[in-house]
Amino acid sequence: MAYLPDFGILAQLLINGILLGGLYALIAFGLSVIYGVAGILNFAHGTILAMISIAAAILFESLRLPLAVILLVLTPAGFVFGWVFHKVLLSPLQAREPHQRTIGTVLVTVGALIIIGDVTAVLAGAEQRVIRLSSTFFEIGSVIVSGTQIGILVAVSVSMIALHLFLVMSWTGSSIRAVAQNRIGAALCGADASNTSAMTFAIGASIVAIAGVLYVISYPVNPYSGFPLTVKAFSIILLGGVGNLPGTLIAGLFLGVAEAFVAFYWAPQWAPAISIIIVLGGLLLFPGLARTRRAA
Amino acid sequence: MTFLQEKRAIGIAFIAAVLIAFVPSFATSYTVSMVMLLLLFYTLAQSWDWVGGELGYVNLSHYASYGIGAYVFAIAYTNGAHFLVALALASLVTSVIIALISIPLFRLQGEYFAFATLALLPLFDILASNLKSLTNGTEGIILPAEQVTGIAFLLMVGLAFLTFVTTTLIVHSPFGLVVRSIRDDEEAAESIGVRVLPRKIMVISAAIAATAGGIHGWYLSFIDPGTMFGLDVALVPIAMALLGGSALLWGPIVGVIVLVFLNQWLLAYFSILHAAFYGLIILLVGRYLPGGLLRSSLVRRIKFVSLLAKEHHERSSVSGNIVEGLDLTPPASGEQDVALECRSVSKNFGGNAALSDVSLTVRRGEIVGLIGANGSGKTTLFNCISRIYDVSSGEVLVDGQPITGLRKDEVAHAGIGRTYQIPRSFERMTVRENVTTALLGRSDPPRFEDALNEAARFVCYVGLGHHLDDSVSTLSAQKRKSLELARALATSPKILLIDEVASGLTPTEIDQFVAHIRELRDRYGLTIIWVEHIFSALAQVVDRVVVLEQGKVIANGTLDVVLTDEAVQRSYFGAKAAETEPC
Repeated sequence: MAYLPDFGILAQLLINGILLGGLYALIAFGLSVIYGVAGILNFAHGTILAMISIAAAILFESLRLPLAVILLVLTPAGFVFGWVFHKVLLSPLQAREPHQRTIGTVLVTVGALIIIGDVTAVLAGAEQRVIRLSSTFFEIGSVIVSGTQIGILVAVSVSMIALHLFLVMSWTGSSIRAVAQNRIGAALCGADASNTSAMTFAIGASIVAIAGVLYVISYPVNPYSGFPLTVKAFSIILLGGVGNLPGTLIAGLFLGVAEAFVAFYWAPQWAPAISIIIVLGGLLLFPGLARTRRAA
Repeated sequence: MTFLQEKRAIGIAFIAAVLIAFVPSFATSYTVSMVMLLLLFYTLAQSWDWVGGELGYVNLSHYASYGIGAYVFAIAYTNGAHFLVALALASLVTSVIIALISIPLFRLQGEYFAFATLALLPLFDILASNLKSLTNGTEGIILPAEQVTGIAFLLMVGLAFLTFVTTTLIVHSPFGLVVRSIRDDEEAAESIGVRVLPRKIMVISAAIAATAGGIHGWYLSFIDPGTMFGLDVALVPIAMALLGGSALLWGPIVGVIVLVFLNQWLLAYFSILHAAFYGLIILLVGRYLPGGLLRSSLVRRIKFVSLLAKEHHERSSVSGNIVEGLDLTPPASGEQDVALECRSVSKNFGGNAALSDVSLTVRRGEIVGLIGANGSGKTTLFNCISRIYDVSSGEVLVDGQPITGLRKDEVAHAGIGRTYQIPRSFERMTVRENVTTALLGRSDPPRFEDALNEAARFVCYVGLGHHLDDSVSTLSAQKRKSLELARALATSPKILLIDEVASGLTPTEIDQFVAHIRELRDRYGLTIIWVEHIFSALAQVVDRVVVLEQGKVIANGTLDVVLTDEAVQRSYFGAKAAETEPC
């Protein structure tokens, strides 16, 4: 039996992988928009997600709030957090010369990642938290899909489509894309680069807030589980291209499915290593991957 | 800092090392462990700074080398190896691992590089936790209980001293200058013939950290994945180097002392939030102290401390205005007549053809003007010749040899020198250092002292004699363009590609520049391709003009022929010129 792949298992792994990958893609897209527009590689991205996941779990357990309300509270909270974080800590670094700006943003976001993880652990405890929803299950052949899984998949799709439409249709979206392509040119057309960057950072943080709530419904989160997610999101944007929504989605799904298969056919503890191995291997085989970097 | 001062610094460090070696014979065990910690963190912070500060690659996984070293040492030692053998193995195995990993890593730059290196920490954590037969998993390895603190302490003193000496050698050497040029502009450094060697420095730095890991693991007699690859501990040495002042001889030392004592105070008075505290220091340094404590304005005002904060710049006895003679060898008479040949060179960016089927032959000693409207592909052609871009198809030959497969530094050695339209000087170096780097990038580089003297000639030749030892960041845009020329000349090119140097010059300066171009050809035998929009300047000196339009050569011939060409008049001089008489 071990030699012949069972199609039921394959299909089940594929569905689990797609669910995980969809979440990865959403997280990665938040990071990608921030990097593409504000030029900031936010090392604290996943850690912000973990903080919000834990807040969501606490709100759910202690106040028994419905998920929709939790989303309505935490998404704007993520937005405000992102805005303030950018305005106070990151925006002033823009005035520096490139090398110092790189070092400055790395230090500020890495510092933030350590602080957020530690403070969250002290305030909320270091244990794993997860939101357990009772759900109906659908059986298609030997494949089992829960209503929650379908709900998460729908929510991920809606968020990504909404974000895409926002970027394409709204004036703010246009100014975000304009700044991503040419800061000075956008400024000349009346798009304030500094405010747009802050706005983008805030949007990225609210995407990660949505992703955080969705993530903790299916997977346990502790204050330190954020950084591995940042690593995955980074791998995904390297594979999919900065600011490239379809590319990010495909790369995210690919990583999710790859992890699901490795966890099942090899061992679960090796799954977290996949993303960085893909990145190193990818760079080795396709040096052109590195060209997705921003010119200094 | 002159060489004498470097020697003095090594002398001071030697005396300090000898004194520290005697600490265990009189101090309490607490003091000994504190000193051990200071030495360890100095070694780690300083070896990080070779890559992070001097080379400009923010390597966030440096601590992993320490961890790998500790693991290799522990595994070898528990299997019966002598401690010196185990230490040698630790540094060797780590060097090999880091050398292999650095191949993909150095395809990244800036934040991307930082990010990929940070992602290595969880990777090694996963490996150490899961390769149980080798590492004993999360339980860690317990080394045999022995009285090793004395030997381990002495070894650490020795290693820290070695680290200090290596630093002074790196800082004051042609090697150090080359490393700093890579930090400022890696591509420009390659184009002047510098063989880029980031991997070498990263491996040396990893070997030192691995040795420190072996010694410290032995001293602690216990290691586990969390203490070796944990995110919060891993960034501490980096925080120290940056807090003190990166790329300064005394910077890491200051940072280490401040943070180690601060941490002891913290451990004594707080039971939680140690990691958050370190995070806060990292964050505040990034936000408010980009140059570290030693570069802060407060410290600069204190006279004694400001001595430690001195930036390192190379000088020499030769300065002032020397006009005569450049160290350039005219090509031997036996060389081929065709200096440069482009065969059907095409370059596409996506679907956009920036160059299509450009064929061009330039004879030795010719001065060719390359003109065309903005966006016609002039700079793209230069970039294809100097290998900044890969050509999409076609071939470029220098002296009959194809250069299309060569690296940028090899192209420079083949005899291509160039300037950039938007100057790409090494910003944090002096004018002299910029030119010296180019001299050192030659295939037969002069001695360091000679190079520093020789650089002065090139600097004076382009009229920057008064700015010889000024930092480039103080120069005006126009002076930077002159520096571009000096730097390109110092590579001793056979073929010089000049990309718009004259725009912005006054008429007198233009005449002077034209005279220079003529002299470079007549006296030093250079072959020159000159891209310029100021046509009157070009017209004074060129033998031939090549006109590009939308990536194609539309005219190629002497001034008179090209000027009367109808297509050229339409495309370059505007339709109106076609109606009036040729000038």
